[in-house]
Amino acid sequence: MVDRTDTKQAQQTASRRSFLKAGLMGGAAVAAGTGVARAAGDPLITEIQDWNRYLGEGVDVAPYGKPSEFEADVVRRSVPWLTADPVSSINFTPLHELDGIITPNGLCFERHHGGTATIAPADHRLMIHGLVDTPLVFTMEDLKRFPRENRVYFLECAANGGMEWRGSQLNGCQFTHGMIHCVVYTGVPLRYLLEEAGVKTTGKWLLAEGADAAAMTRSIPMEKALDDCLVAFKMNGEALRPEQGYPLRLCVPGWEGNMWVKWLRRLEIGDAPWAQREETSKYTDLLAGGKARRHTWVMDVKSVITSPSPQAPVTHGKGPLVITGLAWSGSGTIKRVDVTIDGGRTWQTARIDGPSLPKALHRFYLDINWDGSELLLQSRAIDDQGLVQPTKNELRAARGENSIYHNNGIQTWHVNNDGVVENVEVS
Amino acid sequence: MLKFPKSAALAVLALTAFASPSLAEGDIDAGEKVFKKCRACHAVGDGAKHKVGPELNDIFGRTAGGAEGYKYSKAMIAAGEEGLVWDADSLTEYLTKPKAMIKGTKMAFAGLKKDDDIENILAYLKSFSTEQAAAAEPAPETASEAEPVETAAAAPDAEEPATEMAMAVEASQGAYGLGRKAMPDEIAAWDIDIRPDGTGLPDGKGTVAEGEPIYAESCAVCHGDFGEGAGRWPVLAGGQGTLLKERPVKTIGSYWPYLSTVFDYVRRAMPFGNARSLSDDDVYALTAYLMYLNDIVEDEEFELSKQNFTVMRLPNEANFIADDRLSEPHYAKGEEPCMSDCKPGPVQITARAQVIDVTPDGDGDESSGGGID
Ligand code: HEC
Ligand code: HEC
Repeated sequence: MVDRTDTKQAQQTASRRSFLKAGLMGGAAVAAGTGVARAAGDPLITEIQDWNRYLGEGVDVAPYGKPSEFEADVVRRSVPWLTADPVSSINFTPLHELDGIITPNGLCFERHHGGTATIAPADHRLMIHGLVDTPLVFTMEDLKRFPRENRVYFLECAANGGMEWRGSQLNGCQFTHGMIHCVVYTGVPLRYLLEEAGVKTTGKWLLAEGADAAAMTRSIPMEKALDDCLVAFKMNGEALRPEQGYPLRLCVPGWEGNMWVKWLRRLEIGDAPWAQREETSKYTDLLAGGKARRHTWVMDVKSVITSPSPQAPVTHGKGPLVITGLAWSGSGTIKRVDVTIDGGRTWQTARIDGPSLPKALHRFYLDINWDGSELLLQSRAIDDQGLVQPTKNELRAARGENSIYHNNGIQTWHVNNDGVVENVEVS
Repeated sequence: MLKFPKSAALAVLALTAFASPSLAEGDIDAGEKVFKKCRACHAVGDGAKHKVGPELNDIFGRTAGGAEGYKYSKAMIAAGEEGLVWDADSLTEYLTKPKAMIKGTKMAFAGLKKDDDIENILAYLKSFSTEQAAAAEPAPETASEAEPVETAAAAPDAEEPATEMAMAVEASQGAYGLGRKAMPDEIAAWDIDIRPDGTGLPDGKGTVAEGEPIYAESCAVCHGDFGEGAGRWPVLAGGQGTLLKERPVKTIGSYWPYLSTVFDYVRRAMPFGNARSLSDDDVYALTAYLMYLNDIVEDEEFELSKQNFTVMRLPNEANFIADDRLSEPHYAKGEEPCMSDCKPGPVQITARAQVIDVTPDGDGDESSGGGID
């Protein structure tokens, strides 16, 4: 008992020393190339480690668990100069650190226009009125008594990539493509709620409104509302996060993220769109000739290589290299993803792995043997409608550089001999 | 089936208990929530900096207008020179009706209406003031937990019980029979949207001249005296003829298609941080003033009203078109994409992010980027 602390201290000192040693040797091993056997063996193997001897923390240390402390860098980040105030701002999903197709709830990018509203579920109401037989008010409890469905959808802000219209600008896939996330939603098909109120035949449009300080509103055509919209209260199995609209949000699958009204409190049925600020001043796409497109709802076919990318450089040297990325289309599923490593002269078809669901992210891989030479990486998605992801120059030729929204152009990453990656554009 | 209503009822009880602590001394946690109303303009706590308004650390004991490095209104500086020092009484007065207490203060905030809110926010602000001697803080948790029942009873004007009593609940007639019929007053309270054809416009009117002082008081801090935008806050006026330029300035005058959107948006969301505080006449007057700032009307006596609203047109209305993305050549050609020998020679790099370097954590020039709007 008495000398237990001493032993522990001695052990810790020893392991700290061996840690330093291991660090040095590790460095040497890398310098000498891989696979060099060390006479003494890897101390991480030959010496007993603290975590192998001393007990770890028990259950309940974190009743709601958190990622490992070694993952502290995997966080949403913002670009402070983009907006005047964090209350009406945006941050970005760390795509370069993620794999698979599901975004963890705490990493889903945030965009709100009047801060995150704090609403107790018992105080929340959803009203349906306008051109209906019976205007209705639902509590959260009412909503949870309708039949539910589970659906996986991506949500992409129409301005994702909006900073890149005039040329490559932000050095990181998190910043160029991180206004997207993909989760499994649980909720009630909007159709059930509309049928409960009874939409009149003259009801052709729906206005969705949030309960936040921006009272966010968007007009949605009835066809879409009755097709696949969902009124969701869960994401990835748990309640929506506050910043994602707790307790209730609208899902408008495949369409621009701004329409997925958070803190959803009101649905008005009308016979014409409302021309709200977010569908006139914003979320309209100014073209080169001065005309502006409105009601550009669908998110186009798109893809990006998430690793390697500027924030995820190649650190292991030559040899096997996993190139991976995401592809998605607001029109349906992804049929194929092609990847080039020479800036678009030759393309290879990548392997899509995991579920292929409509209006959801798709994960692709291309496993190559890197010879250490420079790479110009691009990915190109093709959806089940046969739409092919265009180049940035094709988009500029068609629209000019002032559209802000709907930039789905092909992204290029330059990988240099050291594995350092940069956001570039190519001829 | 039995379990859910029971736990829901418990949740309501617990929420009422936390949401409205009727503490004479104010509750810090509740005050933190009230502070959301201030957060757009004020920061408090470690490393708080001046924003639209001054930082509020050590506000208790501060001479009015006394925070270093912040540009106050003349009125606030004068109040400080006349000896106004912030304490519980003076803060209560100021936060109830800022403009009634200090005529000419540039704080664009209507005031807190509930006594509870004021008590709570004072407790919250006090927790960031070193001069705390006066009132020993009661432990807020114990106090609010102790009397949940009395709390509910002591607040007869609390919304929850009142509406519950008044509601003659009519069930839904739909297939599931879920939800209840919305009442006309409820619909009227929430249905504030306005369409380009004027549907939804409330009765009322206001002139350019009437809008000017409201704008100066409530809007100019962020949007600039002439709608030019202070710092990075949105620009509201000007920009005519810039839509073809490299950096178009999209404003009500240069870009927006409909005037109804101005009325609708200002009424629902402005002033930022104090939404729904303007009267309908105020919004007519502000809309008229924004037309004036955008050279859409020139007469200061011009009056906008429900009657003449839909006659008004914004200059850029005709320039909005339907979504025709699918007719763009790259989609329309519908070809199988090229797989090999797609480009003649080796590919050249034509642009690099590192040259511009505006990525956070880099130390590049901050303002060269485009926007997300
Ligand atoms: C829309 C922006 C805005 C909002 C919202 C706002 N303030 Fe202010 N506040 C200001 C400005 C601007 C000033 C400076 C006033 C002046 O110079 O006349 C100010 C001044 C003050 C002062 C005096 C500070 C000093 O140094 O003398 C206090 C105290 C204060 N605000 C508290 C609050 C509190 C508490 C809230 C929320 C309940 C709030 N404010 C909401 C903008 C705002
Ligand atoms: C505290 C700063 C602040 C004050 C005060 C303020 N606004 Fe705003 N205003 C904003 C912000 C921030 C936005 C953009 C909000 C968003 O991101 O959705 C905005 C947006 C607007 C817009 C839309 C601009 C566009 O191009 O889409 C209008 C119009 C507007 N404000 C009018 C007003 C009027 C009128 C007042 C006074 C009654 C006012 N604002 C007071 C910060 C402010």
